[in-house]
Amino acid sequence: MIRFFVSVWENFKEYIVLVVLLIISLILLSQNNTQGIQQVRSIAFGTFASVTSVFTDVFNINNLKNENENLRRTNAEMMLHLSRLREYAIVNDDLKGLLALKDSSKFPLIPATIVSKSLTKSQGTITLNAGKNQSVKVGMPVITDKGLVGIVYSISDNYSIARTLTNVDLKVTVKSERTRENAVMKWNGEWLVMINVPKTFDLKKGDRIVTSEISSIIPFPLPVGLVYEIGDVEKGIFNEIRVHPFVDFQKVENVFVLGIVKSKEIDDIEFNLLSRE
Amino acid sequence: MIKPQYIISILLFFPLLLVQTTIVPLLAIDTIIPDLILILLVYYSITQGQIYGSVLGFIYGFLFDIITGSLLGSAMIAKTMAGFTAGYFSSENKRDQYLVSYYFALIVLLSSLIDSTINAFFTSINFTSNIFLLFFQYALLPAIYTAAIALMGMIFYPKRKIF
Repeated sequence: MIRFFVSVWENFKEYIVLVVLLIISLILLSQNNTQGIQQVRSIAFGTFASVTSVFTDVFNINNLKNENENLRRTNAEMMLHLSRLREYAIVNDDLKGLLALKDSSKFPLIPATIVSKSLTKSQGTITLNAGKNQSVKVGMPVITDKGLVGIVYSISDNYSIARTLTNVDLKVTVKSERTRENAVMKWNGEWLVMINVPKTFDLKKGDRIVTSEISSIIPFPLPVGLVYEIGDVEKGIFNEIRVHPFVDFQKVENVFVLGIVKSKEIDDIEFNLLSRE
Repeated sequence: MIKPQYIISILLFFPLLLVQTTIVPLLAIDTIIPDLILILLVYYSITQGQIYGSVLGFIYGFLFDIITGSLLGSAMIAKTMAGFTAGYFSSENKRDQYLVSYYFALIVLLSSLIDSTINAFFTSINFTSNIFLLFFQYALLPAIYTAAIALMGMIFYPKRKIF
């Protein structure tokens, strides 16, 4: 018997090792969201990111000049927008006062620099140099001046990993700014697509897409992109809309983490409501 | 007894991942980037054998998944298979020939194709798209880019063994 096993091992050891390794990999594949794996991940990327951040700073210096110029231009454009918005704000405040609505536009912004990127075609992730110590929490949106970049997925003390919009595992509820119609948007490996959009929706090429208030992740409208193409799904009543994102995920370097987790707030409110009863 | 090469091959992963996640994105053509870790894996699979290639691929995949936040297990399976494939070309007679000629780039191309295809299968299954187009974009183009980088690396390959 032992001789048989020895002979099998001698003849097929490469394949036996391969099968064992594949089985372990498949087991781990099903354990992705367990607490233990999350802790190991947090320690591993936290340690690695502290080294990467030093390395990234050296490369960032060259790009800072271009980014400064772009920021100056953006500032000038924002100033023009701001002067116009101030006018609207005065009217808006008056109307809000009349209707007794609360102002919900002030959220803390946590500045962060991207220390490394994993830009695979389908699993875009970025590592940020802000973590628990900077009050970053899982689920917080990551933004730039152009719009939404992604959502924080895992954190360590001083670093965090965020899934970008180019990650197949991230789905966001969005809406058309013009028509106010909502849909779920995801990355299909090639494009950002709004899926299962009823054909009756009046979306047009160039429409601005923002995050929807009904999203459980993002509390208020953040720019996402423009409608690039209306799909033509022949069968059924639904359509697919391609969206061109405002953010260039390859070039983005400095971001802000929006210091709010909406689902947590909702959970707390619902919990308090239940507690009262 | 653990050979020093084994430890070196794992230690080399970290500086390479550093380059892969910081500099390599700057070399992206559209969203296609070469996989430097795979080139190292192929090198060790050829020099050390098929079992070593599979185990090293498994370790590289695990470290890659855990550090970059990818789906844990996807790169492990892909790199294990890639290491196993590259290990086929580990014959003692032809080892040196494979390492210093354009054969190396071809082995990298083959292993990279397997690696990218498996990765794509686990992370971006979208059966509504053209499967050949997906294969072209997800597997073939990154594989060609990786092989091209490996080919360039051949120019700097030392004639004498360093380790």
